[in-house]
Amino acid sequence: MNGTGRALLRLFAVQGTWNYERMLGVGFGYGAEPLLQDLKTADPVRHSEAVVRSAEFFNCNPNLAGLAVGATVRAEYDAAPGTQIARLRTALCSPLGALGDQLFWAGLLPALVGLALIVVVLGGGLWGIIGFLVAYNVVHVWTATWSLRTGLATGMGVGAAIGSSWIPRAIPRVGVAAGFAVGLAAPIVAGWYLGPFGRLSVVAVLLVAVLGLASGRLFGPRMTGSRFALVAVLLTLLCRLVLR
Amino acid sequence: MIAPPLVLVSLVVWGTLVGLDLVSVAQTMIARPFVAGGIAGVLLGDPMAGLRAGVLLELFALDVLPVGAARYPDYGPATIAATVVLAGSPWELSLGLAGTVGLLVSVLGGWSLQQLRRLNAEAVQRHTAALAAGDSDAIRRLQYAGILRDAIRSALLTAIGIAGAWAAQRWLTLDRRTAVALTLVVVGAGLAAAVGGALRSAGRGRRRNWLAAGLVVGAAVAAFR
Repeated sequence: MNGTGRALLRLFAVQGTWNYERMLGVGFGYGAEPLLQDLKTADPVRHSEAVVRSAEFFNCNPNLAGLAVGATVRAEYDAAPGTQIARLRTALCSPLGALGDQLFWAGLLPALVGLALIVVVLGGGLWGIIGFLVAYNVVHVWTATWSLRTGLATGMGVGAAIGSSWIPRAIPRVGVAAGFAVGLAAPIVAGWYLGPFGRLSVVAVLLVAVLGLASGRLFGPRMTGSRFALVAVLLTLLCRLVLR
Repeated sequence: MIAPPLVLVSLVVWGTLVGLDLVSVAQTMIARPFVAGGIAGVLLGDPMAGLRAGVLLELFALDVLPVGAARYPDYGPATIAATVVLAGSPWELSLGLAGTVGLLVSVLGGWSLQQLRRLNAEAVQRHTAALAAGDSDAIRRLQYAGILRDAIRSALLTAIGIAGAWAAQRWLTLDRRTAVALTLVVVGAGLAAAVGGALRSAGRGRRRNWLAAGLVVGAAVAAFR
């Protein structure tokens, strides 16, 4: 099997054709293609079937897609039955989605963003951005590499490999760090903006924030932060127009 | 402030990279608003304006959890538009307008992502026979076309955002009290978004306690600065 490096690079564009029909499917096939090259000469019929399977419906967190790509490619080389490989793909969607989302989108990312915002507003400026990009991408690239290698090494046994890996243990830790970092950053960022405005502005901003949180509770997920902000801006402009 | 043509072109190129980074290519997080804004500020010769706009829109971006097939705004090109509003003007009076322009562009960006996903689905449908035949070339063509579509989407969104920012700067003149009120409103709404997002992610477990601890320590740091 060769092409691991090319497959790894391609996995960074795994969502290039994200769509509601096959979701990550085509990107999955694009990532798997260099790894399946050896199969083309060894067993052209099997290769053709493997390419078809590789581009079918699939969805998961893009950072952990390498686990599924590696595992299914290994299963193809091990001559596992096509129905089993299809079942493996289906079985991996939910866990890789849930684990990846918790680890990256709800954990590592808000934790590093919170810390970077603190560095920026405490005077670190652009260094906050550089530090954030370096820290995030070290983990990002390392995880992608680990995922592909683990998938290729374990094949049909990838489920057990994921279960005993560092991922389930890391999730609660980064989750706690994310909660603390975002909590720490919010008041410090607010102080950065409110410095020139005096104490009354603190009351006004807190009032808007409480109204925003309450409207989120009242109207549910449809009242996103940006929608509330746009409604609040509109109401402020109307009030100013009436009071003029 | 009207930026020179070379700066405008560099902003559109930056917006294209930022838009691609959100979903299609790399996801190195240059699409995060404070990153996109910081670099846009440097390109405009006013890094602080970029950081002010970027940190504000970052508060809103923290409300978003881009899971599964979720629909979410595109804050990267939107932050570039907000930075254009803010660059070279007193931030205390312009942040409200910059934030509003940024939020409107982010909503447009979210809509454009839905259209992109529909176009990608149509392209996949057109190639169903080739995919069913195991044609690797078809997979590659679909992938490159999808990335190209996203690049065009991102470039157009950034250009529209910059045009909108320029129009808002030129034609929307707010009196001082209204401008300050808008600034306070967008900061308050941003805080609500960030804390609301953190509360949703925290659930009811240990993470919520750590969020509360962070808020207390952060408030103390802000009070004593």
